[in-house]
Amino acid sequence: MALSGRFRSALVIGLQGIRARKLRTFLSMISLFLGVLAVIVVQTSSVLANRELLTDIELSEGKDGTVVISMPPNEQTAPVVLDALRGRADAVGVVETNAIIGEPGVTPINPGAMPLKYADQGGGATKMICDNNMCYPEPSTEAPPPRGQAIEVRLVALTGDIRPFRPFPTVSGSWLDFTGAASFAPRLVLNNEAADAFTRYRLPAEMRMDSARAHSTPQVIGTIHDGQAQPTVYMRLDELVNWIPASTLGTSSGLTVLRTQSAGAVEQYLQAKLSPTSPFFPRTVDSRERIGGQLDMMRWIFYGMAALVLLIGIAGILNVGLATVGERVEEFALRRAVGTPRLLLAGIVLAETLIIGLLTAATAIGTGVVGLQLGSRLFGGNHPSLQNVGFPWEAGVAGVAAGLVAGILGGLLPAIRAARIPIATVMRA
Amino acid sequence: MTPLIQLTGVGKTLKGQGEPRSILSGVDMTLHAGESVAILGRSGSGKSTLLSLIGLFDRPDDGQYLLHGNDISRIAERRAARLRSAEFGFVFQRFFLLKHLTAMQNVAMALVNGQGWAARRRRRARVMAALDQVGVAHLAKQRPPRLSGGEQQRVAIARALVREPRILLADEPTGALDTETGALVIDVLHAATERGCGLVLVTHDHAHANRMGRVLRLNDGVLVTERAGVSV
Ligand SMILES: Nc1ncnc2c1ncn2[C@@H]1O[C@H](COP(=O)(O)OP(=O)(O)OP(=O)(O)O)[C@@H](O)[C@H]1O
Ligand SMILES: [Mg+2]
Repeated sequence: MALSGRFRSALVIGLQGIRARKLRTFLSMISLFLGVLAVIVVQTSSVLANRELLTDIELSEGKDGTVVISMPPNEQTAPVVLDALRGRADAVGVVETNAIIGEPGVTPINPGAMPLKYADQGGGATKMICDNNMCYPEPSTEAPPPRGQAIEVRLVALTGDIRPFRPFPTVSGSWLDFTGAASFAPRLVLNNEAADAFTRYRLPAEMRMDSARAHSTPQVIGTIHDGQAQPTVYMRLDELVNWIPASTLGTSSGLTVLRTQSAGAVEQYLQAKLSPTSPFFPRTVDSRERIGGQLDMMRWIFYGMAALVLLIGIAGILNVGLATVGERVEEFALRRAVGTPRLLLAGIVLAETLIIGLLTAATAIGTGVVGLQLGSRLFGGNHPSLQNVGFPWEAGVAGVAAGLVAGILGGLLPAIRAARIPIATVMRA
Repeated sequence: MTPLIQLTGVGKTLKGQGEPRSILSGVDMTLHAGESVAILGRSGSGKSTLLSLIGLFDRPDDGQYLLHGNDISRIAERRAARLRSAEFGFVFQRFFLLKHLTAMQNVAMALVNGQGWAARRRRRARVMAALDQVGVAHLAKQRPPRLSGGEQQRVAIARALVREPRILLADEPTGALDTETGALVIDVLHAATERGCGLVLVTHDHAHANRMGRVLRLNDGVLVTERAGVSV
């Protein structure tokens, strides 16, 4: 009751003071504006960067909590995994190998499935050989076949839908259908890079693989975004084994199983079947934590810089506030004479700077929202990550907090000065 | 009847950098409801200092101060602020109206001071009544720079009256006004005593002093009676 009366008094008198000194209010707002804006910009970019990094990592490594298990390379692996995971939604087996799509009997334009932008730089037509770690030119004495209308792709074969773990957005067409029988014409889903290559080089649809029984004629059913720079195609593992014997698949290429936290039983089963003596080493994806750590350093550097700019703004408010109190000595003495308590007097001064701080925060947040939208519209074309970005609420909170902090820090000293003015000033003026 | 104010042996000593200097000593003074007192004295004799002790701007170093019979000689600042708001009305030589507020808002200032909160409508009614009492209700919407000195002082008196104080303290309220306007301001203050207000008027003007019930004189911090009132 008494408190709300004081609060309202402080607000009424504070607003009167602000209205009486519009120009000063405006000047303090200008000095503070850049500081608050800096805080908002840093917070926005940190949230957006975090979000984008996380999305990329989710695409390439998996969502947080996904358990990743490398299978032992032996002849049983692929058949056992295929059999155990068929029709399961909580675990998926992934085989990676390379394949060449296009004109038969030629060297692909991007040996080793390298990203296509490097395709034309690869001097000569040396065939690249890639193992799990690196690619190197084939130490061959005989001349390799000439380059032709073919690209080499990373081939990812799946026992089931991988998207619960790695949420690939569909760009066009459809994703693989894992129900129904395996088709002899393998169905492929391309990533953006592979799709580009297909449209750019107008490839004849023939697919070659090392150790394949025959060349197959694939049908492309869709395109997805997987965040990879290498041209990559996705297909059903059971369709791949029509062409490459399952017993060789598990040995030459890596076979990985992704599972949910709750699908531990599958892992135990595979463990018992494939590697009863030496245990698996499952790894759980925890990108959020890891990225957080990496970004923290950068974030704090930028926060430090923003705080510095904010500090200049606070100095501005402080300066104007002190000058104003000096000018209003008689007013404050008079207010105390008519019974305004010292605490309320300090409250009035603080209310003014807080209102200035919040007004500035509102202006800066508005500027941030508009700026982000403009930027998204201007640069969204070149940077897909900038398309349709909403203003992150964290940046709004940071802006308001910066405004409040500035209001408090900038108003504290003037408030204390105001509360210390002796009342008798009114009699000696 | 309990007096409004009773000072006994009140003293004030100034402790600055140098020697402590006595500004008031052994001041005895009583004020009853409806009574008016003039205080005369040379410049620097301590008139304003006395008024600032009575008005609880400051506390005495010696002696006792009773307000309605309650000892408030060593009262804490929080309670003093509450009493200033509830019991006293102040008028100063310079009017101290806030330039950025209208006459109405200037008067309402004494109501919007954290000591209780009245609804806007009731506040407005009280402000208008106070302005009406001093005869400047028609200037309610004006800002001080457009008012004459006499009008400004009357708005300041309305600000002093709006809480219906029991004691009015005026420190040379006519000092900045011509004789005629000054007389008008004294009229307004005098009218308040007829409604039961106690009035302490510090002045250099004998004509104004003589209209008060009693006249006291401060001689270098010592208060003496120059003319006793009829009732005393
Ligand atoms: N805060 C202070 N610092 C220094 N001296 C002070 C202070 N307050 C009062 N004094 C001194 O106390 C004495 C009395 O001052 P006071 O203002 O009460 O005089 P006054 O009678 O009101 O004079 P005037 O008629 O000029 O207003 C003066 O000598 C003054 O210098
Ligand atoms: Mg004086």
